[in-house]
Amino acid sequence: MQMVWWNCVAAKSGLMSGRLALRWLIGGEWRFHPARFAMTAIAIAVGVALGFAVHLVNGSALASFNGAMRGISGGAALSVRATSPLGFDEQTYPEIARAEGVADASPVVSLNARARDVRLTLLGVDITRAAAVTPALIGMNLRGPGAGNETAFDETALFLSHQAMARTHARVGTQLAVIANGRTVLLRVAGTLPAAGDTAELAVMDIAAAQWRFGRLGRIDRLDIALSDPAAADPAAAEAKLRARLPPNAVLSSEAAQTAQSDAVSRAYRVNLDMLALVALLTGGFLVYSAQSLSVVRRQRAFALLRTLGMDRHSVIAAVVAEGLAIGLIGASVGLASGYALAWAALRWLGGDLGAGYFGGGANGVVFQPGAAAVFLALGLLAAVLGSAVPAWTAARAAPAAALKNAGDVRDPRQRVAWWPAAVLMAAGAGAALMPPVARLPLFGYIGMALLLAGGVAGVPWFARALIAPLAHRWRGAVPDMLAIRHLYGAPGEAATALCGIVASTALMIAMATMVSSFRGAVDDWLGSVLDGDVYLRTNAGASFDPALRARLSAIPGVASMTFSRQLPLTIAPDRPPLALIARPVQDRTNPPLALIARVAQTPTNTVPVWVSEPAQRLYGWNPGDTIALPIAGQTRFSVAGVWRDYGRQAGAVLIDDRDYERLTGDSGRDQIAVTLAREAQLAPVVRSVLAALPPALRSQTEMTEPATLRRFALALFDRSFAVTYVLEAVAILVGLAGVAATLSAQTIARAQEFGMLRHLGVTRQQVSRMLAAQGVIVGLTGALAGIALGLILAQVLIHVINPQSFNWTMSTRIPFGTLAGVAAALTGAAALTAIIAGRHATAQSAILSVREDW
Amino acid sequence: MAQTVPRLLVRALGKSVPGPRRLFQHLDLAVASGELVAIVGESGVGKSTLLNILAGLDAAEAGSVTIAGTDLGPLNEAARTKLRREQIGFVFQAFHILPYLTLRQNVALPLALVSPDARAAERRANAMLDAVGLGGRGDGYARDLSGGELQRVAIARALVHRPALILADEPTGNLDPETAARVLTLFAEAVRHHDAACVMVTHSAQSAMIADRVLQLNADGLVELRGG
Amino acid sequence: MRQPGLFATGGALIAAIAPVSTPYPAVRSGAVLHFPADHGAHPLFRTEWWYVTGWLQTDDGKKLGFQVTFFRTRPPIDERNPSRFAARQVLFAHAALSDPATGRLVHGERAARVGFGLADAKSGEAAVAIRDWQLQRLPNGQWQTRVSASDFALALRFTPAQPPLLQGSGGYSRKGPQPQQASYYYSVPHLRVTGRVEQNGKPASVSGEAWLDHEWSSNYLAPDAQGWDWTGLNFDDGSALMAFRIRSKHGGTLWAGGTLRKADGTTTTLGPADVAFRTVATWRSTATGAVYPVTQDLRIRVGGRIEQWRLVPMFAAQEMDTRRSGLPVYWEGAVGTKGGRGYLELTGYDQPLAL
Repeated sequence: MQMVWWNCVAAKSGLMSGRLALRWLIGGEWRFHPARFAMTAIAIAVGVALGFAVHLVNGSALASFNGAMRGISGGAALSVRATSPLGFDEQTYPEIARAEGVADASPVVSLNARARDVRLTLLGVDITRAAAVTPALIGMNLRGPGAGNETAFDETALFLSHQAMARTHARVGTQLAVIANGRTVLLRVAGTLPAAGDTAELAVMDIAAAQWRFGRLGRIDRLDIALSDPAAADPAAAEAKLRARLPPNAVLSSEAAQTAQSDAVSRAYRVNLDMLALVALLTGGFLVYSAQSLSVVRRQRAFALLRTLGMDRHSVIAAVVAEGLAIGLIGASVGLASGYALAWAALRWLGGDLGAGYFGGGANGVVFQPGAAAVFLALGLLAAVLGSAVPAWTAARAAPAAALKNAGDVRDPRQRVAWWPAAVLMAAGAGAALMPPVARLPLFGYIGMALLLAGGVAGVPWFARALIAPLAHRWRGAVPDMLAIRHLYGAPGEAATALCGIVASTALMIAMATMVSSFRGAVDDWLGSVLDGDVYLRTNAGASFDPALRARLSAIPGVASMTFSRQLPLTIAPDRPPLALIARPVQDRTNPPLALIARVAQTPTNTVPVWVSEPAQRLYGWNPGDTIALPIAGQTRFSVAGVWRDYGRQAGAVLIDDRDYERLTGDSGRDQIAVTLAREAQLAPVVRSVLAALPPALRSQTEMTEPATLRRFALALFDRSFAVTYVLEAVAILVGLAGVAATLSAQTIARAQEFGMLRHLGVTRQQVSRMLAAQGVIVGLTGALAGIALGLILAQVLIHVINPQSFNWTMSTRIPFGTLAGVAAALTGAAALTAIIAGRHATAQSAILSVREDW
Repeated sequence: MAQTVPRLLVRALGKSVPGPRRLFQHLDLAVASGELVAIVGESGVGKSTLLNILAGLDAAEAGSVTIAGTDLGPLNEAARTKLRREQIGFVFQAFHILPYLTLRQNVALPLALVSPDARAAERRANAMLDAVGLGGRGDGYARDLSGGELQRVAIARALVHRPALILADEPTGNLDPETAARVLTLFAEAVRHHDAACVMVTHSAQSAMIADRVLQLNADGLVELRGG
Repeated sequence: MRQPGLFATGGALIAAIAPVSTPYPAVRSGAVLHFPADHGAHPLFRTEWWYVTGWLQTDDGKKLGFQVTFFRTRPPIDERNPSRFAARQVLFAHAALSDPATGRLVHGERAARVGFGLADAKSGEAAVAIRDWQLQRLPNGQWQTRVSASDFALALRFTPAQPPLLQGSGGYSRKGPQPQQASYYYSVPHLRVTGRVEQNGKPASVSGEAWLDHEWSSNYLAPDAQGWDWTGLNFDDGSALMAFRIRSKHGGTLWAGGTLRKADGTTTTLGPADVAFRTVATWRSTATGAVYPVTQDLRIRVGGRIEQWRLVPMFAAQEMDTRRSGLPVYWEGAVGTKGGRGYLELTGYDQPLAL
């Protein structure tokens, strides 16, 4: 492909004959500096590998997540789904089944269950209906005559998916205690669910038995629908007709909506991670730019010679860009391969969620994505080609005669450094950042960040000069320092060449660190305000505390008060993840126990007040004072009495007074208790008494946690979810540092003649070293300051654009001064060290040889 | 001239390069202040090496070099550097004018190495620039100048700290004959004006013309071609 | 007996190991069937089916074969389960249309638990329905059925020309070596058919002659039965013949029986020694690999005389593969013979019908 492209360019410029000369030239450069090319290719490879690996891991996790979801949905194209775990009335079933356009309908009871401490989705199905609508939910033993017919309507028969079977270590015939909705039922594993896929943790039993044994009489949670042939021809119309027949506590959900929902859960996170991974690639692109710039400068005379000998400037550009293309092709190919390996390793050892907890089970294997591979290959090539294009253009622009005559580049320190490209880019970036989200993704936010980043990098020469101008205009101090300062002042572009990669990666790192520190601080504060009890109890697998038990618990000596609450998922739209409906006592309706960020004084009469979390407000547009519908209780109108800060539930949450909740739903169960101790009471004995007061079955399903533990757990979870971003950032920084090191040393080595002359003048080796160290320090400091300044700007975009648009929560900025200082110190130190080492290398060469013209 | 103590005294200098070949042997040379000696010879005979030994940048295997009464032999690296800083000025074929310093700063560089007095250094540098005919251009930069002008800056730099010895290596090698002639004249005048001793290595006859003495370097040492 | 096929179909799904607690009534000889009440469902028995097969002719003379079957089963569930979904009664239905013009048999199925008004099998009168599929007996004594599948639909009315034919001993039909391996079983042969058949969206008026079986039992098959061959034939002279044999897993015939009713009403009950099937030609299904004796010679002994009919299928490919809905593979096809026509059912030819 490279050669084809090459031929095009060469043919266009009519210089097929120049090809050989250029090939010699490039070949020679590669032979003499293979390490430099290898390093550039590696930088691209690292970027591509990281991006591709992150994408693959997330994609694989999502694929298995979706696979599990499809396994649980049994392949139904259309379903009526309950908006909450309370389900909907089973009489909806005959009504929908008889509706026009419905060929068949299969009622399903769906429960979150546990067996042997493994979480399962337990479905109760009518096999006569499932056979027609969702055959994938039919257990193995029912298929074909002869095999285990006795289990068809057996109320104790349980069928497990492959994954559920493996996780519970059950076999056909095993008696399994299954806990759901607070009840434990002994069921016999009767067979498998071969069509449920590899990832679903699914158990299927008879619907009547599920209703009876797990206390769900009269309710169903899902109705899978097969449309009749004429209706299937126009599903939209059929769905519209069906929708009109649904009870308020159910939604019509297509397979596409289901996929959209599962996608929405983690999409913002995945896109964020992809973007971060691309930073490494961006840094790699800058590294190509640095390397190619240097190599072009080094070959200026060679190019000039070729130009004098009759080659046109396009060929020079073509040569340099072709080099970039080759670097990109090699780097990106290596990157794709290592990315795949990396993804495989990550899935094997870290799990598909990369620590963030978005995907429950984790992926089974890497799902190769040819499209993504092509995109990352293209991005790698693009980075390398763009990184080469600018130096190529510079090389071609140089007047051949002048280039031939002058050794190296002769700069004019008086030349002004243009600030406007940087200013234009940054203004455009700021403008883009202010745009609204696209498809619930902050696409313009990312574009804005990219533009700001480009502007920032473009502004580095200007920044460097502005920074040292006050020093440069004075002629004082030790000669080495003075030389260092004057050199940087005179050639800020050279420093910028070395710095572009590290400025970009540092800026992103600082931006992320600032965002994370702001986020973490906000979460920490929020946790402090939310966790106001002394100890918390919550049930799992749907068990609940009934009113009588609650009264007994509240009367336990040492308990000052107990707050009982109920939390359940509530689906507002079928293609979005359910939000959390929280029912708990609200004594003072003007001042609920929440971190309110907005409130209304008076809610309309005839409405039930609810308080929505900030993500819920942003996701559904529920503003204070609005009257809204919630799919829990018929046509009841709710009004938004306030908005509260919540970092716990990305999909949103709604708080309702538990008296309203109970009146509307009839659900008197509660699944969480916040215990406040009496003043002198000791925690341990009270906890003992509370646990002792619980019925034994409930006790085994109740978890007790202290706020400190919860807080620690929450923060640990938080840190873990950002761990992978730190890794990505660190790699980007390392690539950037490698760029600084390579470029600085190349630049230093290129100045060997200068050092030789200085030695002749009586400058000592130490003084040269000191000069280079000073220069390294200044370059490093410049990079650090530029990166930090840019990073703080980018952090604002992250905090005020990316975060609210992706995750729907806001926070105020907290600057991690420690991190800033650390990054600045590390960068400055690394640059100085690099410069000194390179300088030692450069001055180790004989001063005699150095001053010679043609060594 | 003979009665004054030579600024540069070389005795029985010997130097070989790896391999069987010797560069030179038993080389003696004395240069007095204000005297300009040109050393010519075929390529590879060791002219530049000789110059580097004189500058204390290369070591000879035998013999001694004394500059302004100081024998380089016992000096360590630091002391040689100090000597170079104070007593030696250099003019290179490739000028080596730093592009990021002003011309004045370039000229003043040797002074800056020995004294922190920037003002005095700049005054002196201005005077030197005047002397080489570039008065008033001290704020300019290397890219403003032609090759001849650059070499004149280099000459100013070589003399700015009033060194005892000027070492010049093909100072007109990169210049056209006309410019070279003007620069050489200036160079010779400057050397004499400052009363410095000067050793110039060249293989240009034109350059050799302006020297007080012309010596040819060969394996046996220096042979006087033309006396002064 | 027809049903064993389907039975194993529907029946298979249905249950075989009843908990001791489920009190299924036994089939006993000597019981007397009462009509029309016994046309209706007998929900206490474990299995029951209504089965109509027959030959049709369209207005333009095209011949078709059809089959409509409704099964009822009572699974051995816990009777205390208050759930409306509790599988107290489960209904299955099958319909098929054989078209010699295409040489293909098309079929459809339905299944549902009784309840929610979506599926029901009434007692005391014949009225069984699964959603839009139904089979019922009208007050005027006619029967009618309505079924629709993706490829075809039937809307047929059956007018009895003869009284019900009680099989076995007054409706007690022995199926195996043990006396309790039996069913209550009657047939209504020579049903006059009128109605409409829709094929691929094209309706056609049809007329023809059909055969109805209604059978119920709690304990049907002998454990070592491999499958069975069954036929019901309407003869042009008004006589009707039902014959079956149950094949043993070990080869040979485990049990056999049948009934011949002459046009004048004289009825001969045939025992195991009076019925013999002999394979004349076989057909191998490319879909399942099963080899069916689709052409057979049926010999019966009546009044000391052997009578023989060669049963020739309308066409060979009348296999029903209903494994998709969890049912077995069997052959159920229209057959003709000298002076009459009817249906032949062949089960257990791809693998043993399991119990």
